[in-house]
Amino acid sequence: MADSNKKKRGKWTRRAFIGVGALAGVGLVVGVGGNIFLTRNARKYSGKGFGEGDSINAWVHISPDNLISLAMPRAEMGQGVSTSLPMLIAEELEVPMSNIRLVTPQPEPAYANTFLLTQEPRNIYSSLSFMEKIAHFLPLVATGGSTSIPDAYDLLRSMGASAREMLIRAAAAKWGVSAGDCYAENAQVINKKSGEKVNYGAIANEAAQIKLDELPALKSKKDWKLLGKPIQRLDIPEKIDGSAEFGLDVRLDGMLYGAMRHATYHDGAITAIPNQAEIEARQGVKKVVMLPDGRGAVVVADNTWRAKNAALALKLEETGNNTLSSEELDAQAEDVIANKIIAAPKDEGNATKVLDESEGILEVTYDVPYLAHACMEPINCTVLVKGDKAEIWAGHQGSSLMADGVVAVTGLDYENVTVHEKYLGGGFGRRAEIDMILNAAHVAKEMEGTPIQLVYTREEDIRHEMYRPAVKSKFRAKLNNGGIEAWEHKVALQSVGFSSINRIKPQFAEPPEKDLSTPEGAAELPYRMENMKFALGQIEAPIQVGNWRSVGSSQNGFFTESFIDECAHASNMDPYEFRRNLIDDPRFKNVLDKVAEISNWKQNPGENRFRGIALCKSFGSIVGQVAELTRISEKEFSIDKYYCVIDCGRVVNPDTVEAQMQSGIIFGLSAALYGEITFKDGEVEQYNFPQYEMVRMNVAPTVVVHIMDVDEYPGGVGEPATPPAAPALTNAIFAATGDRVRSLPLKNHGYTFV
Amino acid sequence: MELNINGKIHTVDVEEGMPLLWVLRDELNMTGTKYGCGVASCGSCTVMLDGIATRTCTLPASVAEGKAITTIEGVSPDGELSDVQLAWIEHQVPQCGYCQSGMIVAAEALLNEIPNPTDEDINQRITNICRCGTYNRIRAAIHTAAKRRGDKTNLAD
Ligand code: FES
Ligand code: FES
Repeated sequence: MADSNKKKRGKWTRRAFIGVGALAGVGLVVGVGGNIFLTRNARKYSGKGFGEGDSINAWVHISPDNLISLAMPRAEMGQGVSTSLPMLIAEELEVPMSNIRLVTPQPEPAYANTFLLTQEPRNIYSSLSFMEKIAHFLPLVATGGSTSIPDAYDLLRSMGASAREMLIRAAAAKWGVSAGDCYAENAQVINKKSGEKVNYGAIANEAAQIKLDELPALKSKKDWKLLGKPIQRLDIPEKIDGSAEFGLDVRLDGMLYGAMRHATYHDGAITAIPNQAEIEARQGVKKVVMLPDGRGAVVVADNTWRAKNAALALKLEETGNNTLSSEELDAQAEDVIANKIIAAPKDEGNATKVLDESEGILEVTYDVPYLAHACMEPINCTVLVKGDKAEIWAGHQGSSLMADGVVAVTGLDYENVTVHEKYLGGGFGRRAEIDMILNAAHVAKEMEGTPIQLVYTREEDIRHEMYRPAVKSKFRAKLNNGGIEAWEHKVALQSVGFSSINRIKPQFAEPPEKDLSTPEGAAELPYRMENMKFALGQIEAPIQVGNWRSVGSSQNGFFTESFIDECAHASNMDPYEFRRNLIDDPRFKNVLDKVAEISNWKQNPGENRFRGIALCKSFGSIVGQVAELTRISEKEFSIDKYYCVIDCGRVVNPDTVEAQMQSGIIFGLSAALYGEITFKDGEVEQYNFPQYEMVRMNVAPTVVVHIMDVDEYPGGVGEPATPPAAPALTNAIFAATGDRVRSLPLKNHGYTFV
Repeated sequence: MELNINGKIHTVDVEEGMPLLWVLRDELNMTGTKYGCGVASCGSCTVMLDGIATRTCTLPASVAEGKAITTIEGVSPDGELSDVQLAWIEHQVPQCGYCQSGMIVAAEALLNEIPNPTDEDINQRITNICRCGTYNRIRAAIHTAAKRRGDKTNLAD
């Protein structure tokens, strides 16, 4: 085992190179160095994973036999990124999608997701900002926050463009003509005059020697062949015949299976396992491994079923808070809002004063519960530690976090940890956490030489999670003649940023009042308000909270779009017209108008049919939705349709955008209808899907999607459909019943859906 | 015990009660069939037993002895995609893909029994969970697959 005090970083020198070039005898290599916007430190990559030798570079590799390999360092969790990122490169490189091979590189600086840290597009024509350098230095190779396209949009097109330009120049030199006499198409360079053609592979070596002084111009939108077109996903063939390998499908020689048993109480510890010897004597069981600080125990066996049964049979002596309850947390939230507001990220005008001095104001309270991610694939991670090397296999949102986790546990060098990023059976923020990595690495270290596949059963997953926090929300508003004179919104919750960043990258943790996710979707609203305030306070609880698809907007979308609906009704106005009158930004207005148009908002929906509308911006994209319901009996509804309009700026793959709109709405509906994690006597009361139900086929609405044609920098699409889903539904329920649902899930109000 | 999986006999030596799911996944390394809940709720682990969609996470493998077991790997045994699989591509159904083995097997079983299912049939019979919410496309793909199969039958008539 390596000395854990050793330096962990900065060992790419041998393989790193600057500028564009090839190592001896191999194909075209287009590194990030081909572009002038990256600093030397940011260009590092080993080439591991592309195949033979040192021949590989950051994003594009073309071998002499014309095999075109593109790097795909982001996590494919269903959002289609393993098609949309290659599309960006292929568009400029002039290669058909059917010709490319994807390679998952090691998590090295060249693949950092800078947008995740900066929330700003990179300027490919200038050097890296300080935070972008940090993202490279870490490196932060991760997927989340709907950032993959915003991060890659210019960078990857320029990677493809510079490769194409070098190939054209190489071909031109070969034919003795000027580069202007040649063009690239279909993985070939073509001589305009003679009609001669040459395959990329045949000139790859020569092209690699060419130095570009500046970035070639990117293709204009009208010349796009791939971008903006519905391109078939590259991962789908593997996902229809059972061959796609998820983390849990990894099978290795000599591998054993570990089943996790968490300490029962969320702040607690296991202090002893009285029946350990008995458990270890069970058929197939090899060992019971206690995790550091007693946070859990893992039963290792030769089969998952044997391991999980044995883990369930462990008798535990434990410490921890065994009185924690949802009622207690709710009482605390009331107190926090009344007495312990710590910050106001937005305070324009004099909202509090106006409201304090006014009569006849609206004043209401909303609540949402803790939520589990419940990824379809139970949480798992496979690790092998052997001598001074380790390997890790998982579907995870951060390949660099996988390596970091193994380094933290084993003390090995970062470069000696080989990462195998597998398909994720859902991520939704849960797979950006590192608990499964640390736990699997710990067991693998204890059992050096044996690959260990750690799995959390569904029950362990649902009961020991990094939940979307429960949030209490109090509004006050003063209306005047169809306008909003004052709006005050206070929330009490556990800070997601504080909790999750402290687990993942504590050096970046900010205090709760600076958590940027808390005000998402609440502090910046499209509606004109004379006085506006958003304030927050913190709940103290021994519960871990984390990023849950759409994060702060997941609750704030429900709060603000329900309350704006209340304001509309209190003003005796149509909810669409009321919103529209208060919007100045044309992008918001266009989305709202479009969703009203395609849903026939202005026409009567027919007998027993009701509609609700909602409009939210998150992750750089604006989404408007109309839910259309049929009332079957007093509290029984069928959710017939969702009309969904998105403005995400420029579109990469419209088919993926449509799929993500459908997906985000169903995700939001599962939470709205059924989702809640509650605590009693220190334990989570829900175990599995029967208690933590999901929308299924019979309840799922038909989703009609319209994508706006907007020529702006792209926003994200993986999350923005979730926030409006719940308020569109509850606004429709109000239209049907006059019952304003101010807390979720709906099942607690007696509503059923078929 | 002897299990007939996708037309091939496999001999395994496990406890009576071990569910078929874990025999497939951990004893035979046939990982196309997925674990999602372990309590017969989500359908990720669906296979066909003598043509009938069956959740295997609570089904002792011994119960499947003597029956024809068809897993996702057996849906296109000769490498030629089934009508359901082709429809799944046409409609670009999978997102994360984890539930899709169970969904496809359930759809095959449905179409074997009801060649031309209505939306209501689909609601009643496809009760698996897809956390990614691919239900719209699954529904459309089932109708397309039914049509493909029907067209073939008509040709054969
Ligand atoms: S794993 Fe069998 S039904 Fe969920
Ligand atoms: S495609 Fe992800 S769970 Fe269905």
